[in-house]
Amino acid sequence: MMTFDAQLILNHLPDIASGFGITILCTLIACFIAMLLGLVVALGLMSKAKILRYPVRLYVEIIRGTPFLIQLFLLYYGGPSIGLYLEPIEAGIFALACNGSAYYAELFRAGFNAIPKGQLDAAKIIGLSRLQIIVRIQIPQMMVLIIPGLVNVSIILGKETAILSIVTVPELAFVLIGIGAETYAYAETLTVLAVSYLILAELTSRFGGWTEKRLSKYMERSI
Amino acid sequence: MLDFSTLLPALPVLWEGVQMTVLLSISALTLGLIIGTIMCTARLSNSTPLRILTKLYVSFFRGVPLLVQLMLSYYCLPLIGINTPALPTAIVCVGLCSSAYITEILRGGFQSLSPGQKESAIMVGLNRLQIVAFIELPQVIRLTIPALINEAIILVKASSLISVIGIVELTRVTQNLAASNFQPFEFYLTAALVYFILNSTISVLGLWVERRINSRSIV
Amino acid sequence: MNKQTQDSPIVEVQKMSKNFGTTQVLKNVDLKVQPSEVMCLIGPSGSGKSTLLRCIAFLEQYSSGNIYIEGEMLGYNDDTDIRKLTSTNELNHVRRNMGMVFQQFNLWPHMTALGNVTEALVRVKKLSRREADEKGHAILKKVGLAERALHYPAQLSGGQQQRVAIARSLAMEPSVMLFDEPTSALDPELVGEVLQVMKDLAKDGMTMIVVTHEMGFAAQVADTVVFLDQGEILMKGSPKEIFQGEKPPRLEQFLKNYMDRNAFWE
Repeated sequence: MMTFDAQLILNHLPDIASGFGITILCTLIACFIAMLLGLVVALGLMSKAKILRYPVRLYVEIIRGTPFLIQLFLLYYGGPSIGLYLEPIEAGIFALACNGSAYYAELFRAGFNAIPKGQLDAAKIIGLSRLQIIVRIQIPQMMVLIIPGLVNVSIILGKETAILSIVTVPELAFVLIGIGAETYAYAETLTVLAVSYLILAELTSRFGGWTEKRLSKYMERSI
Repeated sequence: MLDFSTLLPALPVLWEGVQMTVLLSISALTLGLIIGTIMCTARLSNSTPLRILTKLYVSFFRGVPLLVQLMLSYYCLPLIGINTPALPTAIVCVGLCSSAYITEILRGGFQSLSPGQKESAIMVGLNRLQIVAFIELPQVIRLTIPALINEAIILVKASSLISVIGIVELTRVTQNLAASNFQPFEFYLTAALVYFILNSTISVLGLWVERRINSRSIV
Repeated sequence: MNKQTQDSPIVEVQKMSKNFGTTQVLKNVDLKVQPSEVMCLIGPSGSGKSTLLRCIAFLEQYSSGNIYIEGEMLGYNDDTDIRKLTSTNELNHVRRNMGMVFQQFNLWPHMTALGNVTEALVRVKKLSRREADEKGHAILKKVGLAERALHYPAQLSGGQQQRVAIARSLAMEPSVMLFDEPTSALDPELVGEVLQVMKDLAKDGMTMIVVTHEMGFAAQVADTVVFLDQGEILMKGSPKEIFQGEKPPRLEQFLKNYMDRNAFWE
């Protein structure tokens, strides 16, 4: 019969808390780098120069066509073969950021394209420069349009951090599965693990909803 | 220096891994489609308990990492007396996870149809089942094919995680080869390429299906 | 503002043609627009009148011929034998005295009415925020929208949105304004308020090129009416000549169709 030993979880609370912290840290840093990288990649995808567009497109397709686990292994275990020696957590964040950049980039690109062309004509004719149009007209609108997508990708990246446990990054899954293996209390540890991710996903999506509401005020018809 | 000469003797083993990955993916996707359709019906039903249950189901499988789901089924099912072998456990696990996403894809498809269509179908005297079968489903399939193809690609990628519960598919085979040959870079790169080819195939196949379906209806 | 003497036109189009692929949508167009002149372009849909206007704004590249804005060649380098596009900076320099109003308003939805009007004042004219706001409020007042300055486009009616769009152009103090079917996307009861703003502008001496289906506006306000058909200028003249004088059969037909469509009394 399955029992739930809450005391066991309480005993390991400091370890679990530190694992939780590392999970959040990895997610935040990876999301941040991935978004910046994704914006650059998106501009590459929309470039008129084939010499730029094709390699960037290939990058995106390869990232999206291969499992994250393989990308991580290639970077962490394969890295030293090409002179890249990374700590587990460095490799983990780097791999996550590259992975995320491809997905964010597609979102950004779609967002850019969703802005009516007439608005850009109006900006051009009034004399705004290419950069001003991107920064002042396109990015603010695109951001609101794609917030639901950004939240989705961020939640997915947050969940992918669990995979970092496989290369011994001491994040939440690593800590709890480790406790499980030591004490055979898998029911307790894995339940806590699952619930933690549910909470994280819920928080991320709440945060996204809140941001969207704040930023999209201009779309409401009445004051 | 990179050295791919050890790759050739490893090809038969890799091929077995590929077969396992394909088998796993196809079984899990089939399961996911069946359960997803059922769940979507429940999700759109008029019964509140059904709607809440399916909503929880979807939240759970989409909110918890697949790795944790696999661990849960692998370690915890025996605790409540369910002792299935690893392979079916893995297929069911990936299938259930996928079904949650498929439920939402199909729901989006059904909800994007304009209510006017249903009203006009009711007014010409079609019954509920006829409306679903002849009016809604054909459109939903056409609308959701791109998302479903994408889901199939995600599933193939997710199947790599099954390696952690000891099933010898493409990723596990690659891990073994990388370790025994001391050539992680070469072998993981090869595995990445194989996954890429698999997914590109699905993608091309998907486009072909999409074009065939669209060519038969005037949009 | 940079007003020219009466004999030098603000906009001059010389033997301009425009191809989309192999189809020629504008053929050998010649136009001169003098300071303070109001010119209306009329013609059936697909006649190329909007394309002509977009070429004058260089939102479309024209294929051959020349366009001069206040004596400066638009879009291409004038001094070389081979046609070469000018840099964006040069293009913006030639366009600096040109304003344009679109059929779909094309307001930036994430900025208030005032934000739309002041954006280019701050970014292009480098005015301070305070100066820009002051000027923005004054211009919004001029188009009758003083109370709506802090509303977002989604909170305004179509007619109000179009008036904001006019204010946005006016803020840059253009010497010529291009209007691309400015009332075509509006509900009929909102057309009047936009036309009124345009009439006021004309009265103040603004040079305007207006693509329009509003024959009444053309008849009352225009100095010159140009009839385009299948990419060619078939007739050019005063409203009186166009609407009451001898005219080519195509123009006759076009006006007859217009009358039939708008007649509600046999």
